[in-house]
Amino acid sequence: MSDVSDVSGVSEARSSPQPVTGATDDGVVLSVRDLVAVFDGGRRRPPVQAVRSISFDLHRGERLGLVGESGSGKSATALAILGLLDPPGRVLGGTVMLNGRDLRTLGDRAMQKIRGKEISLVYQDPMSALDPVKTIGYQLIEVIRAHDHSISRAAARRRAAELLTDVDVSQADRRLDDYPHQYSGGMRQRVMIAVALANNPDVIVADEPTTALDVTTQAQVLSLLDRLATDRGSAILLITHNLGVVAGFCDSVRVMYAGRLVEGASTRALFKLRAHPYSDALLRSAPRADRIISGPLPAIPGAPPDLAALGPGCAFEPRCPVGHGRELCRTTAPPVHTLPDPAGGERHTECHFAEEQIELAAAS
Amino acid sequence: MLKFILGRVGGGLVSIIGASFIAFVFMRLLPGNPARLVLGPLAPNSAIQALRDQMGLNKSIPVQYWDFIWSFVRGHWGYSYTAGASVASQIGSRLPASVEIGIWAFLFAFVFALFGALISTYRRRPLVDGFVRATAFVGMGTPPFWLGLILLVVFFSKLGWLPGPTGRLSAGVNPPAQITGMYTFDALLHGQFSTFWNAFEHLLLPALSLGLGAYALLVRLLRANLLDVSHEAYLLVGRSKGLSRFTVFRRHALPNAFLPTLTASGLLLAQLLTGTVLVEKVFDWPGVGGLVADSIERQDFSVVQVFILLSACLYVVVNILVDILHGVLDPRIKLARSAA
Repeated sequence: MSDVSDVSGVSEARSSPQPVTGATDDGVVLSVRDLVAVFDGGRRRPPVQAVRSISFDLHRGERLGLVGESGSGKSATALAILGLLDPPGRVLGGTVMLNGRDLRTLGDRAMQKIRGKEISLVYQDPMSALDPVKTIGYQLIEVIRAHDHSISRAAARRRAAELLTDVDVSQADRRLDDYPHQYSGGMRQRVMIAVALANNPDVIVADEPTTALDVTTQAQVLSLLDRLATDRGSAILLITHNLGVVAGFCDSVRVMYAGRLVEGASTRALFKLRAHPYSDALLRSAPRADRIISGPLPAIPGAPPDLAALGPGCAFEPRCPVGHGRELCRTTAPPVHTLPDPAGGERHTECHFAEEQIELAAAS
Repeated sequence: MLKFILGRVGGGLVSIIGASFIAFVFMRLLPGNPARLVLGPLAPNSAIQALRDQMGLNKSIPVQYWDFIWSFVRGHWGYSYTAGASVASQIGSRLPASVEIGIWAFLFAFVFALFGALISTYRRRPLVDGFVRATAFVGMGTPPFWLGLILLVVFFSKLGWLPGPTGRLSAGVNPPAQITGMYTFDALLHGQFSTFWNAFEHLLLPALSLGLGAYALLVRLLRANLLDVSHEAYLLVGRSKGLSRFTVFRRHALPNAFLPTLTASGLLLAQLLTGTVLVEKVFDWPGVGGLVADSIERQDFSVVQVFILLSACLYVVVNILVDILHGVLDPRIKLARSAA
């Protein structure tokens, strides 16, 4: 699928060989390092740099939010982790360690054994995620039998009915024979959750799982996902642009902008104080029920940069209230600043003027 | 379901009645006196009148039409004076030959189209895709009879691999006992494999010539539909379940891409079954197309009328079958129907 180019400069602590199975000692189940993904733009145009060397860890049972606006590289990240980034998309480098194995070095066959079993996907649009001409039961049994070749049809069907019951579909056994168009949007997304949870995966990548649903259904689907993942000990990488969802669901957050993780912190710490101007602007522009704003909602001025023509400096510089016009921001990519996280551990921000931003944020 | 089928059959009957009107009126409007044509220019007027009486041509037009329909339904398809045989026996001896190459032409077209669409979309190699599209383009523009001539020149005259335009079997090979009248299938049913092979060799070139246009249409449709479907999220989701790329393609992409081509397939099949004059002429194939062409030339409307009505029936039947198949394959149609 993509060339396995050796990415030098992986200077992280995990250079020691990892055990082949099982979680690592520090409870990290998924570890992404220096992941780079592009979309080829054809012969004439430079590639779009969708994911520009990102690194993060997902701990066993953790809820990690990946937040950013459309086109920031969130979905490309999800697909790259699962090894499902199809041309013109391409993973150029980095490692994706799941249970101690680098998924990037595995072949198609080995990946098929892992997808749907150790790591699974909840897709963003439940209306198109199910095959319209196959029954719900068929699509559930399919994921069970893909990883358990010895299971009988009857047993797989019983298991599928249990899964449907788990996701609160009543009369599950009868409804297995229904087709997707006979289910509502919320029910379809619950079926998708059942598919993702069918083999008790260690990691669930949920790509905008509630975007296509109405607000009440969103809450139901999220609490269901949370409950079932907790039962199974699954960690969730929740990809969303909705900060309200992050606030209620995630333990920690990574903010993505123009293919970079510009800020990472515990959810509590981030909502209290933003150490990056972009996260700050993003939070301020989100509507909140507990804060009545007079006048129009503040928006981030300008538009996201063209990922095919990025300059050498900070990608947020043209829109940044702190760094706009500053020589340093225009010419030099910001280094990672590490700060203490009140919730324990560290928080990271990629900003030249993080201290200034923190002062500003604390003052307002 | 039954209500749906009855509705379709009712609609089909209307089409058939319409076709019978056209067949009847059109043939009556043609200039020339059929009785004179049968008896020749020297026959006395009294003999002409007697024959016109016998043929029913002196009755009023509505009565003639009624006679035509009623005898068609009873299987009394009339007598062809120019050929000296009953229409039923003529069509009965010719139709299986046409249906046989029609079926094989359709099979070839369908299998090749499926394969072509698959290789052009599965891995998206531009070179393969370009080649498949080129074959479709050439297939659209190539007259079947011309392709037939080329194939004969290459495979019969030059290479000598396949028999020439000598009908359905080599001299000295006896046709299998009649069940369907189609030699390949009858031979298989009787277990006569050498006869099957002989018949197959004879029909290979005409069936390929006839099927090329259908292939071109089907491969274009199927390819376009597969490309449409390839962006569907359920394919990505299928792979996220741990299914292989090919399994996802076979279970989810192909069934969804195939549904829209079903209607076109049905129409193409009906068209191929009713025979074509030029391909039959090129291969000296004793099919119904040649018979109809000859009959038109001889102003023998008994044959032409029956043929028009038969093809109308065939189209209607094939369309009803396609509709039913659609309902079986696509669950969304079933629902819409039961709700209606």
